[in-house]
Order: sequence, then C-alpha cells, then structure tokens
Amino acid sequence: MAEILFSSWGGEVVDNRSKEPQEYETASKVSLPEYFQQNEEIKALIGWYGIVLRTSEVNIVDLCRTYMEAIQEKSCGKCFLCRIGTKVIADTLGRMCRGKGRQADLEILARLAESISESSKCNIGQSGPLPLRHALEYFADDFALAANGGAAIPAGTYRSKLTAPCMDACPIHLDIPTYVECIKEGKFQESLDVIRERLPLPGVVGRVCVRPCEEHCRRTNLDEPISIKFLKRFVSDYELEKNKEPHYLVEAAEKTGSVAIVGAGPAGVTCAYHLARKGHQVTIYEKLGEPGGMSAVGIPDYRLPRQILRGEVEQVQKLGVTIHYDTQVGKDIKLSQLEADNDAVFIAHGAHLSSAMRVEGENDGYKGFITGVQYLLDINLGKDPYPEGKKVVVVGGGNVAIDCVRCSFRVNKPDVNLVYRRTRNEMPADEVEIHDAEEEKVVFHYLTQPIKVIAENGKVVGLQCIKMELGEPDESGRRRPVPVEGSEFIIDCDIVVPAIGQTIDLSMLEGIDKVETTRWNTIVVNEFTKQTENPKIFCAGDCQTSPGALITACAGGRTAAINIDKLINGLNLEAAEDDYFDKLFDVVKVYDPAEDIGFLGGRARYQLEMLPPDTRKWTFDEVEKGFSPQEAMAEADRCLRCYRVATIAVTEATS
Amino acid sequence: MVTLTIDGKEVKVPQGTTILAAARTAGIRIPTLCYHGRLDPIGSCRMCVVEIEGIAHPMAACTTPVEEGIAVISNSDRIQRIREDSLKLILVNHPLDCPICDKGGECLLQDLVYEFGIDKVEYQAPKPARESLYATPLIRYWPDRCVMCLRCVTACREIKGIGAIEIKGEGYGSQVVVIDAEKCQSCGECLSVCPTGALTENLSRFKGRPWLVERVPTTCTYCGCGCQLELNVQNNRVIGVTTQEGKGVNLGSLCVKGRFGYEFIGSDERLTTPLIKKDGEFKEASWEEALTLVAERFGAIKEEFGPDAIGGLSSARCTNEENYLFQKFMRGVIGTNNVDHCARL
Ligand SMILES: Cc1cc2nc3c(=O)[nH]c(=O)nc-3n(C[C@H](O)[C@H](O)[C@H](O)COP(=O)(O)OP(=O)(O)OC[C@H]3O[C@@H](n4cnc5c(N)ncnc54)[C@H](O)[C@@H]3O)c2cc1C
Ligand code: SF4
Ligand code: SF4
Ligand code: SF4
Ligand code: SF4
Repeated sequence: MAEILFSSWGGEVVDNRSKEPQEYETASKVSLPEYFQQNEEIKALIGWYGIVLRTSEVNIVDLCRTYMEAIQEKSCGKCFLCRIGTKVIADTLGRMCRGKGRQADLEILARLAESISESSKCNIGQSGPLPLRHALEYFADDFALAANGGAAIPAGTYRSKLTAPCMDACPIHLDIPTYVECIKEGKFQESLDVIRERLPLPGVVGRVCVRPCEEHCRRTNLDEPISIKFLKRFVSDYELEKNKEPHYLVEAAEKTGSVAIVGAGPAGVTCAYHLARKGHQVTIYEKLGEPGGMSAVGIPDYRLPRQILRGEVEQVQKLGVTIHYDTQVGKDIKLSQLEADNDAVFIAHGAHLSSAMRVEGENDGYKGFITGVQYLLDINLGKDPYPEGKKVVVVGGGNVAIDCVRCSFRVNKPDVNLVYRRTRNEMPADEVEIHDAEEEKVVFHYLTQPIKVIAENGKVVGLQCIKMELGEPDESGRRRPVPVEGSEFIIDCDIVVPAIGQTIDLSMLEGIDKVETTRWNTIVVNEFTKQTENPKIFCAGDCQTSPGALITACAGGRTAAINIDKLINGLNLEAAEDDYFDKLFDVVKVYDPAEDIGFLGGRARYQLEMLPPDTRKWTFDEVEKGFSPQEAMAEADRCLRCYRVATIAVTEATS
Repeated sequence: MVTLTIDGKEVKVPQGTTILAAARTAGIRIPTLCYHGRLDPIGSCRMCVVEIEGIAHPMAACTTPVEEGIAVISNSDRIQRIREDSLKLILVNHPLDCPICDKGGECLLQDLVYEFGIDKVEYQAPKPARESLYATPLIRYWPDRCVMCLRCVTACREIKGIGAIEIKGEGYGSQVVVIDAEKCQSCGECLSVCPTGALTENLSRFKGRPWLVERVPTTCTYCGCGCQLELNVQNNRVIGVTTQEGKGVNLGSLCVKGRFGYEFIGSDERLTTPLIKKDGEFKEASWEEALTLVAERFGAIKEEFGPDAIGGLSSARCTNEENYLFQKFMRGVIGTNNVDHCARL
C-alpha cells in the first residue's frame, strides 16, 4: 500500500498535503491498493465514505465531476432531489471543468449537496454528494479557481462501479436492493426475474443459503438485517403457488457449441443454465439418480424439501439441458472422452469423501461407524443407515454435523449426541441451526475430542473421548484446544458419525493433461475465469474451492459458463473490470459495521413461523413456513436501498 | 399505543402509524406532494421530511413509523431548505404553461410553490428530451409537466392491480412509460390521482377552468354498482367527471365508461321526447301519449294472447331496486315470469 496524500474516508481527515513524505500520517479507515488492473495504478478514490488521494496529479474538480455523473446515471428517478439535483450538480461541475465556471456555482454546489444527501430516499442520493461536500471543504482553492474562469481541466481516466453492501457480499452478486424493492412494490414476478438473471435456484438458495449478504446488511446498524434469504424464498414460492410458468431470457450467442458437465450439483446446474440460455448444447453426467448434489443428498428435507430442488432443476432441463443420471465420470465414461467429444468440459463433482478423524478404530470397518456424507446420503435416499443403532454420536462442529444430529431424530434415533473439541462460540455452524438443534434437545459435548472407537464383535459400542481446554490462539485466531490429561471418558453409543469435513475424489483426472491440483486436493483454476491450465477444461464448486457454500458453487458455475461461452466464441478470456472492482472491494470495504447511519430505527425484522420442536424433530416436514405476501412486502419495506458508487482515477503504470 | 411528541405536543397513536398520520391526528400540517390517501406511501417528493431529536438524518414522515418517546420537529430552517430545494428542482424546466393547463387552479405543485413563495430558481439543467410515451385516446400525458411523483404508477398497480405503467430510464432522463399497453384499460385511475396537469383528459381539454365549473355529486348511471362521481358542469353542459378520494362505494375510482362516457348527456343526437311511429315514420310525442299507448297495447296483447306473450328485459344500468321493481311489475302487473336481464345474455 503506497502512501496517502489526503483522505476523508469514513469521516477521518488525514491531510498530508503540506507535509514532507517522511512526516506523512496514515489513514486508519481505508487503505488503497496500488494497482487496479495489472498495468493501471490507482491514483484516487471517491465514494460513499469520502475521498482518498494518492497524488496531487488528480484534479479534484474533474474527479468530482466524473463521480457525480456516475451518481446521476445510477439515480433511479424515484425521488426528486437525487433525480434532478445530481443532474444540476454534474452539469455545473462539467461546466467548471470546461473553464466556464461562475462564482455562484460554489454556493449552488454546497447547498444542493447538503439538501440531497440529507433528504434523498436511498443511499445513492444520501451517499452520492457526501464526498463532494468533503471536496468543497478541503479543496476550496481548487474549486474557487474553477469557479472563477480557471482554464479548462483536461479529463482524466476513471472507472466507476455501482455496488451495495449486501450485493458485494453475495458471492454471485445478486442485485439484492432491486429484487427487494420489487417485492416491496408487489412486483413479485419482476423480483424473480432479477434473481434469475444470475441464479436458477431461488427456491433452494432462498431456504439454505448461508447468507453472507445478511451479515453485511446495512440495516443491521439500525436494528436487524433484512430477511434477504427468505424474501428470495417468498417470490419463488409465490410463483409455484400461483402455478406460474417461469420465463427466462434466452439469447443465443453468435456461435454455439457443445459442453459436458460433470456433476448435477449447484455448480453444474447453474453453469448449465447460463450456457443453455446462450444456446449451447449442454449435457450433464451425474453419478447419482438424482440432481442437486449435496443440496439433495447432504442437506436434509426438513430444511429443503426435495420437490423444490427437483422443480428448479426441471426448469433448467426445459431450457434444453440433458442430464444422464447414474453415470459416473471416470468409471462409466472417461473424462478424456468428454474432452474429446465437446468444445469444453466443466468439472463440478463436489467433495464427497469424508475426512479422516485420525482416531483409533476408524478404519476397521465396524458396523455402526458411518461417515457423515454417507449417513446423510442414506437418509436422503429414504433409508435408515443402520436400523439397529439407536444411540448416535456425531463428531464435528459445522453445518454437516448439525444436519447429522438433527436428522437422527427423524430416522427414529432418540438419543443424539454431538462432540466438538472447542466451545459453542467457536462452532462454525450457523447460529440458527445450532439453536434449532438445541431446541430439539441434542446433547452437546463441548471441549471434547474423540480418541478411540470402541467396538465389540465388529460393532460400535462406544466412543472414547478426552476433555479439552482452550489454550493459545492458533493461526486462525481461534484458541487452540489442548487435551486435559487423565480426563478420558466413554460415551456409550452404537453409531459414530464423523462429520469433520470432506475431501475431493480426484481419480477421474487420471490421464488428463494440464489439470493441476493442490495439496488440499482441490483443482487449480484461474480465479477470474475458472479455466484450468488445460484450455478446454473449467472447474468450480466444492471441488475447486474445497467444501463451501451452495451460493459460492453457483457463482463459480456462472463464471465458468460466461468464460466457456467466450471460449466457444473465440473471445479472449480475460478478467473483466467488474472482477478488478471485486478485488478492490476486498480492500476498500463496501460495508462498515461501525457506520453510524443516523436514521430512526427500531423496526424488527419479520420472523418466519416454525413448527414446534417436539413435533418437527420426528418428521422430515419443512420446519419453516414462508412469508405471506403482506409480511414479505412489509419486510422488504425495511430495506434502505444501500446502492453506492465508487469512482477511481487510474493512470497507466510507468514501470 | 405509542406516545410521542410533535412540535412539543403529545400524541398517542397505534403502533405502526406513520409520523405523517400521527401529525394529522394532532392537527399538525406537514406538506406533502406524492402522498395520496389511497396509496401506500411513495416517498418520492421528500416534502414531508421532518427532524427527530437525537436522530442525525431528517426522516420522511410518510414512510417512517412512529417510535415510543420520539420528539418530532415538523419544521426548521434545515427542513425548510430541503423542502424549498425539492420544489425548486421540480421547477427546473417545468413549463410555464399554467395558463393553458387544465389543472391550473387545483394543481398541488402550484399550491406548494405558492405556499413556499418560490419566486426564483437558481438551479439549471438542460431540458431532458422526454417523449410522450404514454397516452390513450382518452388520456394525454404531458411529459414536461410530470413531476414524477409516481402516484399514477402506484395507483395503476395498487388500486387497479394492473401495472400498465412504470418509471424507466436513468436519472434525469427517467420518465413514466407504458410497459404493457395491452393491459391499460383507459380507466383514468392514474389521471385522477395525478397532482399536476401531467395527465389530462382528452375530451375536456380547454373546455373550462376548475374554478368556473360547478361540481354536481351524482351516481354513475352505467351500471348498478352505484359509483359516486361529480359531474363538472359549466353553462349547463357537462364538461368532465371527477371523483373525491375515498368517497362512495368506489372510494373515488371509476371505470372507463363512468369517467369518460359523459358526452352523450349534451349530445345533439340525444332523444328528449318519446317517439311514436305513425305512417312508417317516428313522430315526437308527449310522455302522456306514449305511456297511454304502451299501456293500451300491453292490455290488448295480454287479453288476446295471454300474459306469456309478453316478456321483459331489464338493464344492467339500473340499480338493484329498479331491477326488483321491474320484475315485480312483470310478475304482478303483467302476470308473467318472462323476465330477464341483459347481464345474463
Ligand atoms: C450436509 C451438508 C449440508 C450443507 N448445508 C448447506 C447449507 O445449509 N447452506 C449452504 O450454502 N451450503 C450447504 N452445504 C454445502 C453445499 O451443499 C455445497 O457447497 C454445494 O452443494 C456444492 O456444490 P457443487 O456443485 O460444487 O458440488 P455437489 O453439490 O457436491 O455436487 C456434485 C455432484 O457431482 C456428482 N458427482 C460426483 N462425482 C461424480 C463423477 N465422478 N461423475 C459424475 N458425477 C459425479 C455428485 O453426485 C453430485 O451430484 C452443505 C453441505 C453438506 C454436505
Ligand atoms: S436512486 Fe435513490 S436517492 Fe436517487 S432518485 Fe432513486 S430513490 Fe431517490
Ligand atoms: S438494507 Fe437493503 S440494500 Fe441495504 S444492505 Fe440491507 S438488503 Fe442491502
Ligand atoms: S388508465 Fe387505468 S389501466 Fe391505464 S395506466 Fe391509467 S390507471 Fe392504469
Ligand atoms: S403523470 Fe402525474 S401522477 Fe404520474 S408521475 Fe407524473 S405528475 Fe405524478
């Protein structure tokens, strides 16, 4: 990070303009990467929290002009001050840059900027003129010059981007403010259209998404986040309930080709969807007899009813996608064959092998020792994994472990335990899931580590564990658990389910050129294009990222589809400007949990009705009921529409 | 109930009430432009912003629900500046055609500009090239007069459940457009909620100023619903139909016929006396003559062929009561069950 000459970001003013470089103060609220694209240096940033200048080469008036033009372009027109006021500002700045400024302009800019930011309906208008106000205050001389017939200012090179905290946090960048606004206005079908521009699985994601967007929802700073996930579920349910046929935008690319996809999980299906909408012939090869991957055979039905998933995949098939079920690539058909027969291959076969616990007895083939993935697979295919077993111990602290314990009740195993080596605070599983499991009366053994699977006559009879205590923090920042000597004890049980993670089966890659893998068994791709070193082979989802979230898999599938389409059309596979902005926003945060919004809050989010714990824990019926249209519209009305624009000044790198 | 103060006055209102509604119950006026009693708050005009003690940002009174204990300040220098700026910005390029605008005299924009005494606008922007993309044979859209309050768009969607119009475009160039012309029924709901002269009725254009017409409340005669409306009468001629927000069973809504189908009233072709055919030609007659003739002929036909030789058809334009009387007449006086209604045909 290079030094900063001036910053007003987040209300912290750092002004080094009259200082020697060695005396420079640093800005604590923002850091600015040196480069945007490889050959472009970032010279300045103007956006929602202020201005950051790296050099005095950037003309502040021209920077403000470009930014306000971008704001005006993104103004939706739905409130007076932003719609017209930002136009007046942009035009006035434009005139000043042409050397035609007037003294009166300064007052007009100051007054309008204040009124617009104080009273606009959404954050475009509220945050838009804010940095202009900083500029007028701290760069008064530059503005005075431009207002008094200064020379015309040569236009610099800039890049602008619209974003929002929730939208930036969403891996597939759903246009959340717009889809929520459509719901608020009762335009449910339009809302779905906005979601489907990127995501073919609104009903699935609307139920089980890990919702990074809600963690970055700006409304949290006032009261509680918007129920972004359940609003998505609502529009999808509404369409189903009203028996409406979804409509999709299909726009064939100039050249179309044939693409093979390995795995009908979220990544595979999303990739197929985007390719089919571009007119490509897509065939998916799926090992199981059922689509959805882990969302079908991992996630249990009480969280995600199977017909929702099947219905959404069927819609993708209606777009012309073929799925060959019960076909395992590597065994029933070779990957090299797919590579030879198609223009491109997309690998998205997930991570389906269970990680080892490294405890005694786990490889001895005892009856009753069942890996988490297998346990859930059986249950999801309608089987009881081990009818004889009634007392279950699940090992792990993630969502998979929680699914295993909650499912156990539902296959009539009343005694359910979870063993985790740290405390509840460190548990990576979703807070809501942990809470629901507690309500269903799972017995949690925290600070407990398994050391040995105990068996008699080849059958599990217990799990020997040791108590742990938290020691020094490790590299992940979490305190490392260390065993308490002499604290060994045995939990009696007849089923042990390790659910501490999954790894990736790479056997199908045998004989394939130039597809590299990492020491974590993930497949190596270009981060922007999802292309492997082998130009015809793309990869995303759990097998590329290691086990993660559904929406991340979908996002990867979409990126791969965009680039496969480019490949077939003979276009360059390069990162797009949006990709570089994504990188920039990893550093310049779109959401600040400490931002003081200064609004009247106190409007709690609408909660879904749930089946009571002692009824639901024995059945696979969906636990949560959806929103009614009135509830959905009222919840959507809480959204602050936090769109915001960032503009950066760039110059070609000199070195 | 939630207790708050507005300008120091204590107000108690149910949870979920907006600040605007709370102020109105307390008799405190907060200016509005886009707010309309029959629509969900739109929040486009920002005229109703108020300050709340301890809250940094002004809040729109129409969209903000009250909170226990808040102290609302309905006006201040800051609020006054924002409201003035909102109006001034609307006036940038607003045409000065009040003299020929059908809304002149009852235009909310005129009223507010007058109230705030805005006599000059220092803001400038080039005039956007807006086309009139939204019109029916009965409704005219004047894009330059449109303030984009979105009442029309909201009414078409919320009251009519149609959604034929939408706002499209970016920034200053955005405008109201028809998104689905097929769906528009030309009902004029949009027109009736428009606070300015941006939507006017084609038939009544240039026929009379609002302050010169007499508004005669009456019931629509087109069907049995009984919608309440006001005939706008000038020099004994009906030159338009208006409604009052929330009034009557129709709450101020009308269909295309009720709102626009009034020209027949003053039509030259309209019959003003009964006609009786004599020697193959219709001749004007008095009601006395006509009714006597009908009664005689019905009597004779009934005598000769029996009551079932007569049948009666009544009209959907009659009220329930009239339809009841009609079947009573057919059954009780004529003596037949041959009675039917046009709505069944
Ligand atoms: C129990 C559990 C619960 C979860 N809960 C959530 C949650 O609540 N929210 C969330 O966001 N994420 C959750 N996840 C994670 C999420 O399900 C995955 O990240 C996501 O499904 C990954 O998608 P994918 O397409 O990469 O792989 P997968 O979903 O694993 O799909 C891969 C597909 O490829 C098939 N396949 C494998 N090998 C071959 C082969 N050789 N030939 C042909 N086909 C093959 C598989 O059968 C499978 O259908 C959960 C995961 C698990 C295991
Ligand atoms: S973008 Fe926001 S502030 Fe701007 S016109 Fe639309 S609602 Fe108003
Ligand atoms: S309030 Fe709305 S726009 Fe703002 S972050 Fe939350 S969901 Fe996104
Ligand atoms: S005339 Fe009626 S249907 Fe047509 S746009 Fe106006 S409100 Fe909608
Ligand atoms: S036409 Fe009338 S009601 Fe519609 S947005 Fe314009 S001014 Fe408002």
